[in-house]
Amino acid sequence: MLQDLLNEQKSLFAPGVHTELRGQNNRNRRVVLLSGDVMANVRSDVSGVSARVYRNGVCGFSSMAEYTKEAAATVLKAALENAAFMDRHAGNGKPPLAPLTGGQPFVTEDIHDPDQKVYVDFAREVDAYIAAHCPKLTSRKVLATEDSMEKLLKVSDGRDAHILSPRSYIYVFFTAETPAGAPVELFKAFGGSGTFDVNFTDPAALHDGIDQLYEQLMQKREGVYADAGEKTVILGGMMTGMLSHEAVGHTVEADLVLGGSVAAHNLNKRVASDLVTLTDFAHTAFGEPCPLPVFVDDEGTEAKDVPLIRNGILTGYMNSRESAQHFGMEPGGNARAWMFSDEPLIRMRNTAVHPGKDKLEDMIASIDDGYYLIDSGNGQADTTGEFMFGVTMGYEIKGGKLGKALLDTTISGVAFEMLKTVDMVSDSVFWCSSGFCGKKQPMPVGMGGPALRCRVKIGGR
Amino acid sequence: MDRITSIAKTILTEAKKLGADYVQCTVSESEKKEFNVDGGQFSLMRTLFDRNVIITVLKEQHKGTVQINRFEEDAVKAAVADAIAACDSGKPDPAWEFAEGPADESFEEGIPECDTDRLFMRTKELLEIIRERHPKILMEQMITEHDAAKTVFMSTNDVCYRTRSGCYSFGLMYSAHEGEKSTSFYGSDVTVKTLDRPVIECALIERELAAVEQQLDPMPLEGKFIGPAILAPMALAEIVIGTILENFVSDMSLIDGVSIWKDQLGKEVADPAFSLSFRPLGEDVVVGSHYTGEGYPAENFDLIRDGRLTSFFLSQYGANKTGGTRAGNQSGNIIVAPGRETLEQMISGIDRGILVMRFSGGQPAPSGEFSGVAKNSFLIENGKIAGALSETMISGSVSEMLTQIRGISSDVLKDGNVSIPYIAFDGLTISGK
Repeated sequence: MLQDLLNEQKSLFAPGVHTELRGQNNRNRRVVLLSGDVMANVRSDVSGVSARVYRNGVCGFSSMAEYTKEAAATVLKAALENAAFMDRHAGNGKPPLAPLTGGQPFVTEDIHDPDQKVYVDFAREVDAYIAAHCPKLTSRKVLATEDSMEKLLKVSDGRDAHILSPRSYIYVFFTAETPAGAPVELFKAFGGSGTFDVNFTDPAALHDGIDQLYEQLMQKREGVYADAGEKTVILGGMMTGMLSHEAVGHTVEADLVLGGSVAAHNLNKRVASDLVTLTDFAHTAFGEPCPLPVFVDDEGTEAKDVPLIRNGILTGYMNSRESAQHFGMEPGGNARAWMFSDEPLIRMRNTAVHPGKDKLEDMIASIDDGYYLIDSGNGQADTTGEFMFGVTMGYEIKGGKLGKALLDTTISGVAFEMLKTVDMVSDSVFWCSSGFCGKKQPMPVGMGGPALRCRVKIGGR
Repeated sequence: MDRITSIAKTILTEAKKLGADYVQCTVSESEKKEFNVDGGQFSLMRTLFDRNVIITVLKEQHKGTVQINRFEEDAVKAAVADAIAACDSGKPDPAWEFAEGPADESFEEGIPECDTDRLFMRTKELLEIIRERHPKILMEQMITEHDAAKTVFMSTNDVCYRTRSGCYSFGLMYSAHEGEKSTSFYGSDVTVKTLDRPVIECALIERELAAVEQQLDPMPLEGKFIGPAILAPMALAEIVIGTILENFVSDMSLIDGVSIWKDQLGKEVADPAFSLSFRPLGEDVVVGSHYTGEGYPAENFDLIRDGRLTSFFLSQYGANKTGGTRAGNQSGNIIVAPGRETLEQMISGIDRGILVMRFSGGQPAPSGEFSGVAKNSFLIENGKIAGALSETMISGSVSEMLTQIRGISSDVLKDGNVSIPYIAFDGLTISGK
């Protein structure tokens, strides 16, 4: 763990301005096996210290790739000078930030740092299982990875913290060929919050998931193109999570609201059917720990759940301290930074639609001609709420029963229109946390939800 | 430069002591000055002092890589030991190969010193010009910066490159607004060596701002048709060039054997009017890389010349794995040969089609088939722009599109990193409500 070199540097904080001082280490471990060959075998440790000063509505920030008391003093001075430059040339005279209540520093436990051999050996065992049990693949890739953030935060007001946030995954990528010789692929991520040696103790624990992925790919290679047009579909929990994050979540980040997102004109208005409730959870959801829990953000705000949509009505935004003051809302702990050299931005934590009361099998049985869309490779959305998600795994629904698998396709729509068509919500929640959200900086996020029945536009060939 | 050169030498010596057969490292120091505008208002000024050390070690055909950002001797020695340990856990692969010396060269690119006051002035000026000329535009975020770096690349094969570089970059993300109406967001970027002229005059910024302002009243496209689409430079880069690079000519796709072009070298893969090259040393690139990650001197090269596939995008490792030839560089400095028509002339030749400024789509399948939303796009009817479009999807196959080129523009995006024209393709599936 980072030694606390920053506490006494708080005496250097300038009076009358909000100041943050943060020491941070990001570590990444990565092993890539491509059809058995080690394509990448990488360890990365990046650390340093940064300071941010808020003054009259503008900020100054500075960072150094060095974690020492001297570096802390240097970045505090540079951040203050930058804030003064901005205030002099572009200050807008906004009032000081509303003070935050403090409390005991929030501290988590130390974490392991497994040897690189642990990653390589585990990836090899997974690869050997795939080579032996998945004969019709044209290629396979296994990626073993861990990324963790350690942050030591000192703030002029609010809550100091020393937090370690590890997460680790095994990704498995499969490629096969259709009867016509066209390549098709699928991937699956295993893992979540925690270090690699804790999450992955037995390669056999992945076998069922690998077998299922192989079976899905074999179905997909015999798959059909979706019929383009607006259809009734069931979005699986993974797709609901993507929708929650990309199409709704980003539009209700307060900085994007100020940038003109569709949510600016919809607060306290109906944006979804009354079956839809959506929350950005801090650390606990539906009685369980969230996939990537957040307890204190990088402005020193204690993290709380932020309700976004309640029974179809848009109820709030995710905020930094500054944007919360602008909108007259409470900050919920959404201001987070990726590296030591990054300033906190408004980011989601664990964003999910709440479960309903329907059974997935009843939802499928209710559709005469539509699709069950399970998995997505990626997704993008606009500040207008217009979204597009790639669909990598899905099935036809014909006469209330699952039909053929689908080849890759996309779905698109406008979130606040599409959510009004939701008329069934399943009773179980699926979470995923293996990706990064991209804004100015990357950020690990959790997203999830139940299956939703709705109308959406699907792309064909 | 002396300090980072000394660190690089220490790394090579330490790794050899620990039994490495080959070592290479990149050691750099950088400084960034940055201004941020959010929601149309100045919000933040940043000064970042950064360091980076990347060590790659080869031992008995095992490869290990470690990255740190510390220069202290104990940290550097620990990183070298870590790289050796990573090697020990890998699998031997005789395909790893790196440049042989002797080579000892120094490069200077751009302007290493930042003129902070002038950078702020140009940023403020740009904001003011946009407010005046494009009043409906709301700048969601603008980031303007100067990046300076000193870098040493050194290897035990007697290869050493020293680079000092500096350039200014401007990144704009914006949308147009009128009452409760708003457009999709759009991004314009440019990298420049000096601040001699107003930023609004660079790249296609002025044209792109004007186009987004015209998208406030989009109409949905009724039905579905097969027709032509003009892809603007960044949409072309994302759909076509990205797919070529990722799925058809990369190390991964060729080693894997999934590339549909694996047997197409020397053959015609595109219309003869289409040429695609990578030119980090060309005049259109502000700061280009002079060497590859494996230490070979970078050379400009053609990937597709007059429609014929003349090279893959292979590293030396990829070349050894596939029996191919290493590409001249591994840069992202895409140069697509321009055509002779203006964009307006290209539009005038289309009865019914679309102009796509931005594409929001899923990752193309290995086959090159793709579908996604045509963002910030316009309907073309009877040779004219008939209005902005909403919720319109396009789909097609990149390999088929390349043989169905109907025009390439003389108008070109030159943003300091790439040079890309507009290209019109026949045969795309365009679908609306």
